[in-house]
Amino acid sequence: MELQEKLKILSSAAKYDVSCSSSGSNRKNTKGGIGNGASCGICHSWADDGRCISLLKILLTNYCIYDCSYCVNRISNDVPRASFTPNEVANLTINFYKRNYIEGLFLSSSIIKSPSYTMELLYESVRLLREEYRFNGYIHIKAIPGADLRIIEATGILVDRMSVNIELPSNNSLKLLAPQKEKESILKPMGFITSKIIEKKDERKIIKRAPGFVPAGQSTQMIVGASPENDLSIIRLSEKLYQHYKLKRVYYSAYVPVNSSSPNLPAINNPPLLREHRLYQADWLLRFYGFSAGELLDEKTPNFDIKLDPKANWALNNINLFPVEINKADYEMLLRVPGIGVRSAYKILKARKVKSLNYDDLKKMGIVLKRAKFFITCKGKYNGGLDINDKLIRYALTDNVKTYDANPKWEQISLFPTIDKMPTVNDNFMSITGEI
Amino acid sequence: MINYYYDGSFEGLLTAIYEAYYRRESPNIFPEQKNMQLQMLATNVKIETSEEKASKVYEAIHKKISYNALKNTYHAYLSEIKGISQDIFKYLKFGFKIGEKVDLYLSDEKVLPVHKAAKSVQRERHLILGILRFKSLHDDLYYASYEPHHNVTALLISHFSKRLSNQNWIIHDVKRNIAAVYDKSNCVITDLPGKIYRQPIAKADEYENLFKEFFNSVCIKERINPKLQKQFLPKRYWKHLIEK
Repeated sequence: MELQEKLKILSSAAKYDVSCSSSGSNRKNTKGGIGNGASCGICHSWADDGRCISLLKILLTNYCIYDCSYCVNRISNDVPRASFTPNEVANLTINFYKRNYIEGLFLSSSIIKSPSYTMELLYESVRLLREEYRFNGYIHIKAIPGADLRIIEATGILVDRMSVNIELPSNNSLKLLAPQKEKESILKPMGFITSKIIEKKDERKIIKRAPGFVPAGQSTQMIVGASPENDLSIIRLSEKLYQHYKLKRVYYSAYVPVNSSSPNLPAINNPPLLREHRLYQADWLLRFYGFSAGELLDEKTPNFDIKLDPKANWALNNINLFPVEINKADYEMLLRVPGIGVRSAYKILKARKVKSLNYDDLKKMGIVLKRAKFFITCKGKYNGGLDINDKLIRYALTDNVKTYDANPKWEQISLFPTIDKMPTVNDNFMSITGEI
Repeated sequence: MINYYYDGSFEGLLTAIYEAYYRRESPNIFPEQKNMQLQMLATNVKIETSEEKASKVYEAIHKKISYNALKNTYHAYLSEIKGISQDIFKYLKFGFKIGEKVDLYLSDEKVLPVHKAAKSVQRERHLILGILRFKSLHDDLYYASYEPHHNVTALLISHFSKRLSNQNWIIHDVKRNIAAVYDKSNCVITDLPGKIYRQPIAKADEYENLFKEFFNSVCIKERINPKLQKQFLPKRYWKHLIEK
């Protein structure tokens, strides 16, 4: 088979894996070698679906012995199949890298013969790249659940990031949709990698030149919308993964119906993209904003409001904490203001060292006030324009068009009283803003 | 009113700032352009670039303000935004007055334009690191053309000479007719006419087609979102991308 044909089959088979990040590793180039890691990560292109392309994302093979109902590569599907040899993978990676098309390699695989056999093939591909081709760019590799832990360890020394996919957020769903996989076999390599990362890190404190282990950390992915779990159970699971398994990232992938005929899968027309987006927002709140899963959702409202982002939602449910004074609030509280993120919070902390900030200062500093204005005061002054009332603010945030008070306390007196047409709400609005 | 004109180089700008300080004047500082119209009622002063004076200002910024301010100054200069020379002058004047705290005045009119320009340059540099595309010309020569908004070529060198240290490459800014040329050990910036990038390359590169194939097949058709794509990758950069 032609290389081009293979690449087509094996990259489109890998595209449902959402992980794309290339950050977290600052591996240095060696003399005579090629490539290095950029710890901030670099995106090299953006595909037509708007997702970034930073790694050459391919499967080693899409021949599979498993039959997971949600997966395009399952054994019972009639799709074109192909396999790369480790040499072909290395060659493609190097030549793409030399032309600056990619930041590195993302290599996954379907299961051929057995998990251990597949893992060995993956190991061989990265060994070839690192040792023969002297490639020092970023490599992200899948650890295959059920593979011999010794091969996983050997691979971990060579790569920058490893991931094991959880696939579905509960054991029941796994049983139903991926009968050959089970929770235990997924968590086992995950736990193993975590313990190795910690172990090697400690080792490096004593022996500086000891080999690193998965320096960019571990990640995982789960499919959202293919099984009946609610958002609460999903973010609780993520929280546990971050706390106990020290994962760097949990990726969420809106379920795309690739296999039409399965009684266990929901029939949907469009992937639940907005739900995926809300989960990512919540995920960020867990990782960078000091929120816990229990604060964002509870048993009474186990799903996110599609209309409003999780942070604004939290703020409105805890409106008694607001407004906060921009010039006094501590970092943790600033981060909890809707619309203020890590960057803005740092900017505020910096700028208020030399000057007490007012509303215009914030605007000039580039802090987005669309949501924040309802929750802050600047030098004691409130600029939200509404009473601090969760219902009013919710209304203003979810429905931009009707933000204006339906019953104004003032009235624009007409210049032409003979015209009996009353000004509409819209006219009132325009009379204030001056916009037509 | 006094106007200073410098030759457009960074050293020229620093010299102008030096002169303004020692002549105790508060001029408007402009880079010199071709066919420039001088103002009739102003005193127009041509500043001769001096390496020595420039390096004095350079050191002074580093020592009396901060390294960060020096970086901001240089990056803002590279932005080539109209009127940025004058903004840099105001920023440095303020900086020499209050020292390293200058970068805390995030909402100040004297600081804001320089911060904005520097940020814009840094952001574009980061994008370019990803979207620069090298073409393989001969066995071991890789050539990339691009047209950045700001003059970021000099900022790309450290990244690519570390990463692609084992190949010869040229990064060519077609808009400004300059190029960074690297020969596996050293890198120089030199003039290179912008026209040459259009000349056809004799050898077809199979990896270009492979990458196009990859680019198309990695996209999930159910999620197509051109608006998002353009948000990350503005259309003005598409011309030099082989996948587009």
